[in-house]
Amino acid sequence: MTAIAPSNRLDAEALPPQPASPAAVAWRRFQRHRLAMVGMFMLLAVALFVTIGSLFVHGYCSGLKQDVIGERWANCNDTSQIRQPPSSSYLFGTDSVGRDLFARVIFGGQISLLIGVCAALLEVIVGSIVGAVAAYYGGWVDNVLMRLTEAMLNIPSLFLLIVISKFFGGSLPDINLFGRHLTGSVAVIILVIALTSWMYLARIVRASVLSLRERDYVSAARALGVSDRRIIFTHLLPNTLAPIVVTATLGVANAILSEAYVSFLGLGVTGATATWGNMLEGAYRYLEAAPWLWFFPGILILLTVLGVNFVGDGLRDALDPGGLKDL
Amino acid sequence: MRTLSPFRWSTLISGVAVLGLLLAACGPASTPIPLDEPTAAPTAGGAEPTAGSAEPTQAAEPTAAPVAAGGTVKISFVQEPDTLNPIYSAMYFSTITRDFWLRGLFIFDEQLNPVPQLAAEVPTTENGGISADGKTITVKLREGVTWSDGEPVTGDDFVFTYEMIVSEKNTVQTRYPYDTVIDSVTAPDAGTVVIKLTQVFAAWRTSLFLFVLPKHVLQPVFDADGTLDNAEWNRAPTVGVGPFVYEEFESGSHLSFVANPNWFEPPSIERVFIQIVPDDAAQEAAIIAGDVDLGLFLSSDQIERLEAGGAVKVVAVQSGYDEGWFLNLREGLAHPAMLDKNVRLALALATDRFTIVRDLLVEDLNPVNATFWSNNPPYASKTLEPYPYDPEKAMSLLDEAGWTDSDGDGIRDKMIDGKKVDLELRYVTTTRELRKNVQAVVAQQWEAVGIRADLRNVEADQFFAGYADQGPVAIGDFDVAEWSDLPTSFPDPDASEKWRCADIPTDDNPSGQNQGGYCNPEFDKLLEEQSRITDADARIAVYEQIQQMMYDDVAYIGLWLDPDLWSINQRVQGVSIGGVNPFWNVTTWTLK
Amino acid sequence: MTAFVIRRLLQAVPQLFIISVLLFGLMQAFGDPIATLGGRTPPRAEDRERLTRLLGLDQPVWMQYAFWLAGNDWFMMDRDGDGIGDTPGGRRGVLRGDWGTSLVTRKPVMEDIADRLPNTLLLGLVGEIVIIIGSLTIGIYSALNRYTFVDNVITALSFAGFSMPVFWLALMLMYIFAVNFRRWGLPYLPTVGMFDPDVGPSLSELLRHMVLPVATLSLISIAGYSRYVRSSMLDVLGQDYIRTAKAKGLTAVKVLRKHALQNAALPFVTLIGLDLPFLLAGATVTESIFAWPGMGRLFLERTDRADYPTLMAILMMISIAVVFFQLITDLVYSFLDPRIRLD
Repeated sequence: MTAIAPSNRLDAEALPPQPASPAAVAWRRFQRHRLAMVGMFMLLAVALFVTIGSLFVHGYCSGLKQDVIGERWANCNDTSQIRQPPSSSYLFGTDSVGRDLFARVIFGGQISLLIGVCAALLEVIVGSIVGAVAAYYGGWVDNVLMRLTEAMLNIPSLFLLIVISKFFGGSLPDINLFGRHLTGSVAVIILVIALTSWMYLARIVRASVLSLRERDYVSAARALGVSDRRIIFTHLLPNTLAPIVVTATLGVANAILSEAYVSFLGLGVTGATATWGNMLEGAYRYLEAAPWLWFFPGILILLTVLGVNFVGDGLRDALDPGGLKDL
Repeated sequence: MRTLSPFRWSTLISGVAVLGLLLAACGPASTPIPLDEPTAAPTAGGAEPTAGSAEPTQAAEPTAAPVAAGGTVKISFVQEPDTLNPIYSAMYFSTITRDFWLRGLFIFDEQLNPVPQLAAEVPTTENGGISADGKTITVKLREGVTWSDGEPVTGDDFVFTYEMIVSEKNTVQTRYPYDTVIDSVTAPDAGTVVIKLTQVFAAWRTSLFLFVLPKHVLQPVFDADGTLDNAEWNRAPTVGVGPFVYEEFESGSHLSFVANPNWFEPPSIERVFIQIVPDDAAQEAAIIAGDVDLGLFLSSDQIERLEAGGAVKVVAVQSGYDEGWFLNLREGLAHPAMLDKNVRLALALATDRFTIVRDLLVEDLNPVNATFWSNNPPYASKTLEPYPYDPEKAMSLLDEAGWTDSDGDGIRDKMIDGKKVDLELRYVTTTRELRKNVQAVVAQQWEAVGIRADLRNVEADQFFAGYADQGPVAIGDFDVAEWSDLPTSFPDPDASEKWRCADIPTDDNPSGQNQGGYCNPEFDKLLEEQSRITDADARIAVYEQIQQMMYDDVAYIGLWLDPDLWSINQRVQGVSIGGVNPFWNVTTWTLK
Repeated sequence: MTAFVIRRLLQAVPQLFIISVLLFGLMQAFGDPIATLGGRTPPRAEDRERLTRLLGLDQPVWMQYAFWLAGNDWFMMDRDGDGIGDTPGGRRGVLRGDWGTSLVTRKPVMEDIADRLPNTLLLGLVGEIVIIIGSLTIGIYSALNRYTFVDNVITALSFAGFSMPVFWLALMLMYIFAVNFRRWGLPYLPTVGMFDPDVGPSLSELLRHMVLPVATLSLISIAGYSRYVRSSMLDVLGQDYIRTAKAKGLTAVKVLRKHALQNAALPFVTLIGLDLPFLLAGATVTESIFAWPGMGRLFLERTDRADYPTLMAILMMISIAVVFFQLITDLVYSFLDPRIRLD
């Protein structure tokens, strides 16, 4: 403690006279959380790997008799090179149809991260709107929404995941995103994961909006004739930011893991699109025979999930050092 | 803060851990007396050597003393039989258990020849079993065969079985072929069954009375409930007729059968234990570890790993299945290019199926098949070869058909009714790993000739879902659909429903089974003709024509012969898996 | 109190109704129960039509729901296929205690569930005990030794623990302890099932076969829960009364046992309590891999066959259990903490 104290004083002197904004305070606390910073760097490293890395992968595709780059290289198969262990020509080895695992891990990672971020965003959108609307309007709206929330919480999450992915399976069209062609199943997985995970956030948001609703500034806004929508989005939700941010962060890790489970149950992303989850699923049968098949996607999932959890831990401490322990 | 030690938790945990380790260390040998108390002889010596020989790496066998009789053969099933009553189940895993406990008129050996079981002999025209017009079959029953409760098996049981199958009161799984070809089944005396057919039916041996129901057990149930749907016997058939007798069926866990000493060929092994192991990878581990003697539904990439220890042999058994592409020829539903025979031929020529079977499967076990009947000797065509791999010719065929890459995007296209249509084909199959891999390889081969593949994977119950449930195959939402199929009533083909014009699914005929929509009246005529021919050679000749016709029309592209792979631990001797009845010779199996 | 219980139960009725409608609707997209009937190829046209009719699958969805809820013995089913109802249906409906017949086994759904439930509970309860003991021990230990080397290792391991997919962990354990240990001549564990058929079912066999699935189940949960115990323990240790107790001269052990543990464990116990009804659902992945005949596998198997009566029964049973346990939890709460009023 003695070592930190002087430096604190130094900070205080360097600070401008006005009090720091809440965001600045939180950022400072976050920076002091060692694990969180490690997590940040891990995430950054993974993100750079799957983005910058994708610019460099290329090779000669014997099946097409031409040099190909990017995702076309990741999808280029050569059945004479099936399940080759890591070597200088295939840094991470090859998979069951002779595709370069290094390239697939990169392009699969893009999808896995996309699924993680989108599912978490969608989860947060649905969860906070349901929670805020229920709390703000109260009465029968609250009743209906909360019954629905509880109904979904009553079903084991893996079962819900299975039921909903069966429901949406194969029903969405393919999409083109940043020049990548994705099967509709990517959108299905995002939807499924988000739809099965928003309930906890809805409850938390509802609880904090309930207490905020009676605050003076909300009553004042209402008296001034501010619209409900504006009150919810500009006055209520921003003040419940802490749980929302933390849930969103952890939601990313959750979604990446859920994707692996859904793949294991045979309901994952299909077609040519690789993800860490379906790579792991395909590798599962070669646990002993070809460990590199699961090692690389596995280690990347591990790094990402770990990183997200560390950051989440730091955010929790930084945004609300007292509460939020239950998240 | 050294505070952990006073906790009782920690002692508890270490206690549990020690207990676990002790149990692990003890191994199966130290566990109490085995269950099988009636088999006095093998129990003492039996348990020890099995535990020893279960170790695959044990080069020299420490306890080599072979046991003359007795012991348990352990088989793993990846699926649990839904019900054991044959009239209610279409499941392969239910069907094959009947080899143990419920035999019918015949059983088919590994050469697919009928071996009389409840029948005294195979009826033929020569021995008077089949009438001159071929419409009356008289079966003499084997004398002295009894149900496992001691009641004799009589002709009345067969009459009862027929009645139960066609009864409206029973929600049976299929009535084929009893509802289409049978005029009557009668039992003039206890030892005879007379089957009158409405028409000559060539495939009767492989589709009639492959099982029989015990009338004395089930008639009272039917009389009381008005149906057999809820009979106790369906799940727990304590009365059967076969070399083994039902012992136990624990849902999700196991089934067991014990030897029937009264069977006319008493088995040497004492018990068959079927463990349900749903996960493929876990099944593999169990086979390697020696916890399972016989495993099935294996894939060819597992062979090397399973045989590595030396204790396990993998055998391939032809059971009539071919993996292949069912092409969509239905106008308005299929891609317009699919309606052109030359484009379909180009698809075949553009796909290097030979490399696929060499690299992704086992070439010797899974050669490329030429036709839908290739896995059905002796009816398989002897002249047709699989469509060759010739991408140059494929490209010129596509060019001739008007499919050219006019916009330079690498994908061929064509103006149809003033609109540019890309040559992008829906390639649909199930979610099986091997199929996904094949899809990836094929997509690249197609890309090389300018065809884009839209790869889709659907789970089996949705893939084969009916017309009303929007099953992609039924409603024609595919251009190329891949699955493994066999001619009805293998090994005696009766593929009447898969290719006829009248069976194309439509709003008026939603259950039609000709999902590809192949329609050729000449072909229909030949199919009809073959089912009326009893002379084997003449029928084979008609099948040659049938196959030639479909080959020329390119309605089906063969991928590979799809035999079943079985693993057999060398602990079990004398196993000869049959394609129809895998356990046909179970009575001669012995345990080392 | 009684009024509270009655009101809560009444509230549960619409909730369960919503769940049942929601699930029944979702089930319709599950696929076709007679797609293959468990066979390898689709059934013949005649059989498909007949079975669709006999199993009542040709009725509109709302009608099927009505049958499921209220039975169909008041309705004339068409058994002979002439388009005219002739035989009254045989189902009495959920409201009258009939959960229907499985489309797979043709047995009453409840019998199928009763076959599997004990196995699931056995595995789940033993797993839960291991989880509680494990996470309390580890959580308290790392709270008391915060920021030491061991605590940091535990932290890292537990984060790694819950980033690990269960299926991977399960197969890994099987390969190490059941396959390779046997290969290396070490004491080994069995791969699959509940007993060795050469030996027959016995308690020691059961325990031996439970080691790996229980380990799989608990390792990942211990990782998560021990973090939770650690943080609530740290909260309690920072409170004034603990400091007072220490100042009074109580030994560390006594402080821990008398004050800290009690207060730290309460929220943890609640957490576990809320988890309990979900034990009924079983551990889908673990049960599949270790061939343990439990509920999770039942659900998965019946999903593949679109056996909606069984699926509905499993899901509704769990929902009812959750409602019931929530009520119990609330009652216990008010009993433990008089400040909470039940209204």
